[in-house]
Amino acid sequence: MDEEERREMCPICKTDRYLSPNMRFLVNPECYHKICESCVDRIFSLGPAQCPYLGCDKILRRNKFKSQVFEDVGVEKEVDIRKRVFNVFNKTLDDFEGDQDEFNKYLEEVEDIIYNLDNGIDVVNVEEKLKSYEDMNRQLILANVERSRQDIMNFEQRQKFEKEMKMKKRSLERQIEQEERANAEWAKKEIVNQLSMGSSSDEVIENVKKTVKLKKSSARRKLEDLNKVLRNNPYTMLQNGKLRKKDVSKTPFTPFNGDRDLSKRYKLTTDIYNDPFIVQLEKRKDFVASGFQTSVVYDRLLTEAFLGLGCYISEEKKTQKSSLIL
Amino acid sequence: MSNLVSYTKEKKVGEGTFAVVYLGHQQNGPTPNRRVAIKEIKTSSFKDGMDMSAIREMKFLQELRHVNIIELVDVYNENENLNLVLEFLPADLEMIIKDKNILFGQADIKMWILMTLRGVHHCHRNFILHRDLKPNNLLLSPDGQLKIADFGLARAIPMPQDILTSNVVTRWYRAPELLFGGKHYTYSVDMWSVGVIFAELMLRIPYLPGKDDVDQIDLTFRALGTPTDRDWPEVSSFPSYNRIKIYPPPSREELRKRFIAATENALNLMCGMLTMNPQKRWDVAQCLQSPYFIELPEPTDPIELPKLTKNEA
Repeated sequence: MDEEERREMCPICKTDRYLSPNMRFLVNPECYHKICESCVDRIFSLGPAQCPYLGCDKILRRNKFKSQVFEDVGVEKEVDIRKRVFNVFNKTLDDFEGDQDEFNKYLEEVEDIIYNLDNGIDVVNVEEKLKSYEDMNRQLILANVERSRQDIMNFEQRQKFEKEMKMKKRSLERQIEQEERANAEWAKKEIVNQLSMGSSSDEVIENVKKTVKLKKSSARRKLEDLNKVLRNNPYTMLQNGKLRKKDVSKTPFTPFNGDRDLSKRYKLTTDIYNDPFIVQLEKRKDFVASGFQTSVVYDRLLTEAFLGLGCYISEEKKTQKSSLIL
Repeated sequence: MSNLVSYTKEKKVGEGTFAVVYLGHQQNGPTPNRRVAIKEIKTSSFKDGMDMSAIREMKFLQELRHVNIIELVDVYNENENLNLVLEFLPADLEMIIKDKNILFGQADIKMWILMTLRGVHHCHRNFILHRDLKPNNLLLSPDGQLKIADFGLARAIPMPQDILTSNVVTRWYRAPELLFGGKHYTYSVDMWSVGVIFAELMLRIPYLPGKDDVDQIDLTFRALGTPTDRDWPEVSSFPSYNRIKIYPPPSREELRKRFIAATENALNLMCGMLTMNPQKRWDVAQCLQSPYFIELPEPTDPIELPKLTKNEA
């Protein structure tokens, strides 16, 4: 039996590709031994079991099985390792603030880890390293995952936007073409009409041409607008990376413009304050219906009660003066 | 406010029953040659004293200092007339919306609404209701900053026993509880106005242009659905509730069709501000935290916002 034939046969149940063309092979990243789908179902459906290959003592679980992408098991294995390592070591050049040397060093280190894992060198130590790095940098890793997710989302949004714009543009162009054709026909008819009424030919043609020119279609105007929008398309600007650079130097955007006072001047220790007068108002229909809220009343009263406490005007004046001198 | 500063009145730009507005310059003081608008209140010609709105305007503008609120530079008395010196702002949002030569996009709308909300946030945290928010009262400075102006109808948040007049806010921007004649409203009336302005910016035509007060009620509910006691407790206790027609609230799909360019987050924000029940309507902090302001496109830098093409000089 030559190599070609063996590849097309499950080594466990000896099912042949020739007889069951729907057969799929799965591998488990523990040992990368190829097993056909029905064997996986049969052997591992009752829970973890030993790999059925002779001499392989790895315990495999069914949910870890996946279909093989690359024919070469070595490649497959390396790709898996890479995927795993890059999930943890996911820094980008931005994290090093553009320091190329540092970034290269970091990449070299990651490459070493992958090589060691791939070739089984010092696996225990390397695994340890991976784990400790993951624990130490959990925050950063999550942030980077989020960022790459956002990059992908931005990219998708941009593609969608551009596609829509292109569609619109095309339909407008088609409209313009149609209108132009209609106009040309109209002009022809008009010329013939007017000539039949006996006016001088040159003048008629000139006049008709002028009116056609004036009939600049609304579709054309829309197209111009669209082109303008396309030109300052926010996504393309992001793509060029110019906008992003500029934004870094600017204060970051916040909806409140950094001007939001979250610390109240008071703290409520209880939610229920039983003021019979206000409680009564709260129940009256005309108050409820017009949107009266007791919290608003309390907020104003309490804030005003404590307003100015803890402000020392003399001290503030002092610092003001000194800053003026400076 | 120093006494050394003086002002010139150069050009009359408008006149109302109670006030005349001039353009002028600051003569000396810290910022000489600064352009200002001077509002001269005609006190001398009235026996009953001066107009209430001038007092309100002064009272609140003296307290409020914020980039998105018009600055009251000075107040002085001359020939028994009171003069309010205000920041000079050449344009307002209504002009921008109406000028069909101006193109603006989602990012521009976002910045304008953002600046409006920031200004409103500053009013509300100082316990002030503006009560007359509309594009006409949102002025634009030459460097693109939007500033809330006209505090003639403003008042402090009421004490619980106070009865407020429901005859406030320009009709098209009037919240449903005001249309019904509610007398104990709070911040939510301003939020409704901002919601209508937001819709107007997206449509570029007034969203709810009622012909009169009755028509306004009808139009509002036709567009947004008639509220019931279930989503707005005790709404039926308003005396005028019985006379209105019942319309179903618009489906999401209908809103999407009406506001084609709006994203889902934009629609959420708008619907939040245009919630019928004033108790459930989003407050200003909630609006500012909307994901709409964080998603792309980023709000335009104020300096790059569209301006009037004609130069008003």
